[in-house]
Amino acid sequence: MRLLVVEDEAPLREGLAKHFASQGFVVDSAADGTEGLYFGKEYPADLAIVDLGLPGMSGMDLIRTLRESGKEFPILILTARDRWQDKVEGLQAGADDYVVKPFHMEEVAARVNALLRRTTGWSQPVLQCGPISLDTRRQEVCVHDAPIELTSYEYRVLEHLMLHAGEVVSKTELTESLYEQDYDRDSNVIEVFVGRLRKKLDPDGSLKPIETLRGRGYRMVLERYSA
Amino acid sequence: MSSLSGRLLLALSILLLLFFSITIAVLDSAFRSASEKAVADRLEIQLTGLLSAVEIDDYGGVSFPDELPEARFNNPGSGLFGEVADENGERIWRSGSLVGLGITDSHGSLSAGETHFEQLTLSDDSGVFALSLGVMWELSEVESTRLTFRVAERLEPYYAQINRFRTQLLGWFASVMLLMIAAQALFLRWALSPLRRIESEVREIEDGERAELGSGYPRELKGATQNINTLIGSERERLTRYRNTLGNLAHSLKTPLAVLRNGLSTPDMSPESAGELQKQIDRMDDIVGYQLQRAAASGSMTLGHVAVDVVTEIRAVRETLDKVYADKRPQCTLDIDDSESVQFFGDKGDLLEVLGNLLDNAYKWCKGAIQVSLKSVQKPDARRPGLSLVVEDDGPGMNVEDTRLLLERGARADETVDGQGIGLAVVKEIVNLQGGTLQLLRSSLGGAKIAIHIPPK
Repeated sequence: MRLLVVEDEAPLREGLAKHFASQGFVVDSAADGTEGLYFGKEYPADLAIVDLGLPGMSGMDLIRTLRESGKEFPILILTARDRWQDKVEGLQAGADDYVVKPFHMEEVAARVNALLRRTTGWSQPVLQCGPISLDTRRQEVCVHDAPIELTSYEYRVLEHLMLHAGEVVSKTELTESLYEQDYDRDSNVIEVFVGRLRKKLDPDGSLKPIETLRGRGYRMVLERYSA
Repeated sequence: MSSLSGRLLLALSILLLLFFSITIAVLDSAFRSASEKAVADRLEIQLTGLLSAVEIDDYGGVSFPDELPEARFNNPGSGLFGEVADENGERIWRSGSLVGLGITDSHGSLSAGETHFEQLTLSDDSGVFALSLGVMWELSEVESTRLTFRVAERLEPYYAQINRFRTQLLGWFASVMLLMIAAQALFLRWALSPLRRIESEVREIEDGERAELGSGYPRELKGATQNINTLIGSERERLTRYRNTLGNLAHSLKTPLAVLRNGLSTPDMSPESAGELQKQIDRMDDIVGYQLQRAAASGSMTLGHVAVDVVTEIRAVRETLDKVYADKRPQCTLDIDDSESVQFFGDKGDLLEVLGNLLDNAYKWCKGAIQVSLKSVQKPDARRPGLSLVVEDDGPGMNVEDTRLLLERGARADETVDGQGIGLAVVKEIVNLQGGTLQLLRSSLGGAKIAIHIPPK
């Protein structure tokens, strides 16, 4: 998952970037609206966190411009001015949710997960594909209700595949959502992650949750349950 | 006198009255003297006629023919009289019209060449204009006698003429004056209409129907109207600046708080001290939040707010919350009488604060159903209608007693209150500034019911 953070306050921006990177997100950080607009337009973000009180181009204008240029990824607003007028205007400009400063990092993470899940059509915080369940709030994965230990990269790969269950996800897409731009694309790291995932989720090979489509990518084949 | 046009009209009427009085007096005296002069001229002609009728009789005395050429001398009651007196003042001749009457004379006989034009009285006490002339009459070449000729005319025709003139004069002037005052009243109405326009526009501004005074005022008023507009503008600007300053204060305080809070999650801090710091940071955050929102509630005291359509704002807030609570997706029904628009006369931000806090609470606590009822409250003689807003949900309902206590205390932010309490306290603050009331009730849906009533003003 690729995340864009636009926040002028360096400690907060770095805190957010660090937190989400540790969760396995790829984070692009921007310190002002103009830079944010550049990242938003040039890089395939899955979600943006935008502070409303930005120097230069305001957060509100940034959101409007992004929406006008056809960007449809969810946007989470950070606002210090918790007047309702700002919230209503922000959401009407095209944002999807807000968090009022000062926030708990867990709260932002929860909102981000919820937004990502929602935009892919999951209305519940727990994704369920066959016997595999993935709780986006607790970042827990269970198979037949038995918890499975995953690294954060493995978790992100599985989350991505489950969010897009039934669809083909290319290796490039997975790479971009896991790593910075300059990563070597030819690396077989994704194959390694998928291999490890298969081993952890399906040690006896009875489930076969992830299908490999040669030259095209991977697909979560287990049936998706939507509550 | 409190009305400008009344004052002007009064001053003008006094001026007109003075002008017409003087004019009438001057005209009247001119007409009188002209009339008198006309009487004197007429009498002089009659006197000449009388002089030419005198004959010298055979005994060397003065005699008159029985019938004078001027018939009015012979007619009793004709109003024209004539008499001649000798040098002793004895009447030696009287005209036929003087039968049974006599002219009361103050002079007796006059010396030759002496004339008098005067008002005399007849023996029946009625007045006459009389012209008297003393003449040295030659009876023969050696003998002459001094005679006094006098002709007189009754005053009644003269006075009748004067009175006719006065009646006409007064009649005309009175009607002209009334006409002029009426016309003046109309002119004043027209000339003062910009002032009435200012009055009605200021009223509209108070009512929130307009943001500032219009243009097209006459030159003399332009300064004043522009100043009023500047005042309204600067008042609004001041409020905006105040808000922005508060916003900046919020920003500058809250961002460091956010940094501090996130610094607490570092592992090299003992859980106890982290917990305590966390608690203090939360408290600071609550204090900042509550005081800022409270201060930002502007109330209805400022001029120049345009009325805000409440339904539009409810829909905007609902749309916002539908996004935020997308997982929950409660059914939020609006019960609104569509026949009339409901308006809030105050700051849009205040209205959004009220709606946002109430609806957010409802979305947060409900199980799945929210009901919002809105109607306008009318009163016959009120300038602006009030409104009644009820938000209820099917949630567990808040602890009504606790919340009521909290609101009665004024929601001091240094007490431990949850977000709901602060939100409600801000709502109450705004509603109170509008002169309204907030009621906490239990809904028939099962949850909380909050009723707001803003009375018509």
